[in-house]
Amino acid sequence: MAWVRGEPLRVLTVCGVGMGSSLILKMTAEKALAELGIPARVEHADLGSARGAGADVILAQGLHTSELTGTAPLVVPVTNFLDVAGLKETLSRRFREQGWLT
Amino acid sequence: MEFLRQLLTWIANNLFNQVAILIGLIVLVGTAIQRKRFEEVFAAAIRATLGVLILFIGIDVFVGGLLSFQTIVGSAFNLMPPKATKTLADFLGTHGGSIALIITIGFLIHVILVRLLPFLRYVYLTGHLMFWISVIVAAALIESFPRMGPTALVLWGSVIVAVYWSLQPLYIARAMRKVIGSDEWGYGHTSSAACYLAATLGGAVGSKDKHDTEKLKLPQRLAFFKDVNVSTAVIIGVIMLLAAAFADKTLLAEQAKKFSATVDPWVWAVLVGLRFAAGIAILLFGVRMFLAEIVPAFKGISDKLIPGSRPALDVPTVFPFAPTAVMVGFLASTVTFLILMLVFGAAGWFTLVPPMIMLFFPGGGAGVFGNAFGGWRGAMLGGVINGLFLAIGQATVWGMLSNTAPELATLGDPDWYILVWLIKLVTAPFAGP
Repeated sequence: MAWVRGEPLRVLTVCGVGMGSSLILKMTAEKALAELGIPARVEHADLGSARGAGADVILAQGLHTSELTGTAPLVVPVTNFLDVAGLKETLSRRFREQGWLT
Repeated sequence: MEFLRQLLTWIANNLFNQVAILIGLIVLVGTAIQRKRFEEVFAAAIRATLGVLILFIGIDVFVGGLLSFQTIVGSAFNLMPPKATKTLADFLGTHGGSIALIITIGFLIHVILVRLLPFLRYVYLTGHLMFWISVIVAAALIESFPRMGPTALVLWGSVIVAVYWSLQPLYIARAMRKVIGSDEWGYGHTSSAACYLAATLGGAVGSKDKHDTEKLKLPQRLAFFKDVNVSTAVIIGVIMLLAAAFADKTLLAEQAKKFSATVDPWVWAVLVGLRFAAGIAILLFGVRMFLAEIVPAFKGISDKLIPGSRPALDVPTVFPFAPTAVMVGFLASTVTFLILMLVFGAAGWFTLVPPMIMLFFPGGGAGVFGNAFGGWRGAMLGGVINGLFLAIGQATVWGMLSNTAPELATLGDPDWYILVWLIKLVTAPFAGP
């Protein structure tokens, strides 16, 4: 498994007002990406700011992903905000589909 | 000795009384003990300090919109706007340092309680509510004991918030397990009273199997309400326009003129809604900025001291389990609140301000809990309960906090009001001038 994108990944975790659950999801995502060995910078935000943020990957719960489609190349719905192993699996599958991970 | 006294006074006035600097220092220590690199520690402290300053600017804009709203809507009902001798910004200016210490010491007491009493199980990690609950508890204490010194305030405040953070996730844990189907995390949100009632009463009005919200289809058009900035601007703006039609026209013109000499009063009414929403957005941006530094430090401390403890998390962590119930609860809350707004206004009781964020998040949460026990009927009941809490809470707590930070009444969740009511009730026999 090799990471083929050059620059670090810009990841944004999003929730309604960008304070509570997106911050918890940020910590989970940082752990998952570090364990996958993928260089990334993770930030968190609310729905409104997420639109102009120019992230590579957006993580949010399914309630919000429909509004976020198109704001980043990859928009991934997350159900369990603490599940590092599950997020690792989903992310590596989605990254492979994008051709970022070979 | 004299020098020492002067030094301590200087530290008290310039570090402990300046909430922005104190929060910066707390973050500095919090990140330093995680052995981060110097430049990271420094940047984190600066970001947290800026966050507090931005919060203050947001409060100014928000309170400006709030006052205009209360004046015009009040006038439409022939009511005087609710009275306030102090504002939230004044209160954070005078007592902000104590509040920062209440969050920090309260969290440490909470962690020690959970470490010593394993049945408590959950570590509260919903940062913005740790901030707001500390503010509201401090305000309620100062209302009862205006001359309480900072040491007593910090001590009593820390103990009260620590007990709340320890017990709240625990009493709702049984319902929470049914909602998320596991015990992986707890519910740490100040809507717990509405959620608990929705879960307890939900089963009496419907059944999850027969009336599951997730079998319903709601119109897609409602989706834009999920963006709380948009829904706040729209609802406050529309009510302003309606109220402007019934308000005293001289008053309306005067208020609009204060904002700009040339603006049309109707356009001003719309602008009030937009400024109100913008103020809340700035305020939340500031809170988000300092929380982003504090919460990971808190999580680091609790992971180290209580390995294997479960976190109690913010309300949106239950939303994925029933997204439609969120919308049902939110809509039921909003309709209930708007009806009560008319009733309270017509009866001459109080000019209520619709708090869209509190109608969405606690309303949505109560919807999810209600649905888990009583399907869409339970979800709707949960929303109605939340709407009742928010209307009655705002109308009663505004007056109870009018000498400290009355605006808190318009930003509150059900548990905030219950805490203020309880503190008022318990301290009533001892309260001093």
